[in-house]
Amino acid sequence: MIYRKRGCVARWEHGRVVVVHEAGEAIEERGVFQVRTVAGRIAGATLEDVASVANALRSVNAERLVVSHGVAEHECDGVTWREETRRLHIAITHKHLRALVDRAGFELDEVARIASALTRAGAERDAPARIRLAPSVAAALLPHLAGVAPPNVRLIQSGGGLDGNGEEIQEVAGPPWRNVFRPSYRIRPVRMPLNLRLECDVDVIDRDLPEAVALLAPVAGLMLRVLVADGQRVYPSTIRVTRIDAVGHERAWYPYAAGAFGSEIML
Amino acid sequence: MDDGDRIAATQTTDDELMRACDAAIDQLREDVDENARVRLVATARRVQGVLMTDQTMTITIGGVSIVSRDAAVLRRALEIPKSVDRTDLPIVWRGGSAAVLLHEAVAHAAEHDAPPVKWPSWLRVSDVPQFAFDDAGNAAKGADLIAEPPQCLRRESFRDVPLRRMTNVVVRQTHAPFALPAKSIDVHLVAGGAYDPLTDVVTIHVAVSSAGAFTFRRTRAEVAKSLVGAKGAPIVYPGVICSREGQELAVGSAAPVMVTA
Repeated sequence: MIYRKRGCVARWEHGRVVVVHEAGEAIEERGVFQVRTVAGRIAGATLEDVASVANALRSVNAERLVVSHGVAEHECDGVTWREETRRLHIAITHKHLRALVDRAGFELDEVARIASALTRAGAERDAPARIRLAPSVAAALLPHLAGVAPPNVRLIQSGGGLDGNGEEIQEVAGPPWRNVFRPSYRIRPVRMPLNLRLECDVDVIDRDLPEAVALLAPVAGLMLRVLVADGQRVYPSTIRVTRIDAVGHERAWYPYAAGAFGSEIML
Repeated sequence: MDDGDRIAATQTTDDELMRACDAAIDQLREDVDENARVRLVATARRVQGVLMTDQTMTITIGGVSIVSRDAAVLRRALEIPKSVDRTDLPIVWRGGSAAVLLHEAVAHAAEHDAPPVKWPSWLRVSDVPQFAFDDAGNAAKGADLIAEPPQCLRRESFRDVPLRRMTNVVVRQTHAPFALPAKSIDVHLVAGGAYDPLTDVVTIHVAVSSAGAFTFRRTRAEVAKSLVGAKGAPIVYPGVICSREGQELAVGSAAPVMVTA
């Protein structure tokens, strides 16, 4: 199998714009995975002004900010496809707290809301007995639910699009995962679920419950360190996910693992 | 091409750099132990017309890794029996492993311009570059990491922004006190570590010790206060693959036997 990729990306990082053009191919034969550069540039790619996105976040106390926009052309065994990606990663800090935000677009309102909530955060509190997870928090949890999701919910690979070998991504409700994730031509593709989503027969969310609005640390198994907003009160807390009572209908895609559709979850 | 605000990076094939990498990998292959998981990495770069190469071999057995070309070192360490049931005893950092503790507590903190803490007067932690030029074209300069940040700018690849990063951490002691505690934990290998600039907390995941695997977590001030002794010349630790901002770089490490209590 021969896989080729040509692409370019503009990335804002450490106060600088990095524009990268690269092209390469990966060949896997008889158990050997080999990559090398190839000549040529992607044609017709216009990159967004990532610096302006970063500048729009100047008022946020960002410990780390990475904004990127990339365009890539892929070719694998005669199948060609093109994709465009936007990524925003920001670590917002206030005192000893750090909120981690990852998005697949440049809509900044939610970032501002999280930053505002973080500045109002009080002392650590126990997690409430019942809580809502914001879609972005729920999306980060999804890859960790594989194999351990409670029986009343279904963890599904969403069908549509092409995987890292140019094969159609199938709608699959559990392992074995037949599609592959290939984030770079330099990385051997890995079988794993792509574009996960969670479904539950109950989709009514109690909006009066406190809400976990942001992650304060990467998800560790089923433990979530989160920023909780309960009316005017905001506090850090740690949740252990033991049951899921409801999953909302509206979904948005987030760049966690090989992709996850986050929807509101009620615990 | 770097104009200060903007880096334009274009991938090209450079035959001289490719040959240098191939030669480095060929050298590493001679030492590959086929009964271990082995990762070979060779990089070549040309800065100010000077060709420089780096090569590392990471050997993993039973989930424990070292950066070394000798799997026997790891096998010997893995045979060390667990003889202590507690992890709250004083720790004797052997085989240069204290370099990893101070890599996190001193060197990373220096990279982040962390406020000073009171380190023992007998302690020196230096960055001692082993190459002529850093990755921004500056002549490589050493640094006293207790007093200043590393002076070298390093980048993992042509795609990355050069960052102020340590290169080769050498810990020395001058007339340090040293007394082996009656009961202690001997640390031999470290699986990884971290420094959080927000909380000033240092975390070390010990892989091989007389108490088995455990996690050591203290604030930087607590680490400084806990350093009660050291003995001898720096011992070269197998090595550290250091990841910061997604950029993985090899960092040399050496330290004398040290005691924290």
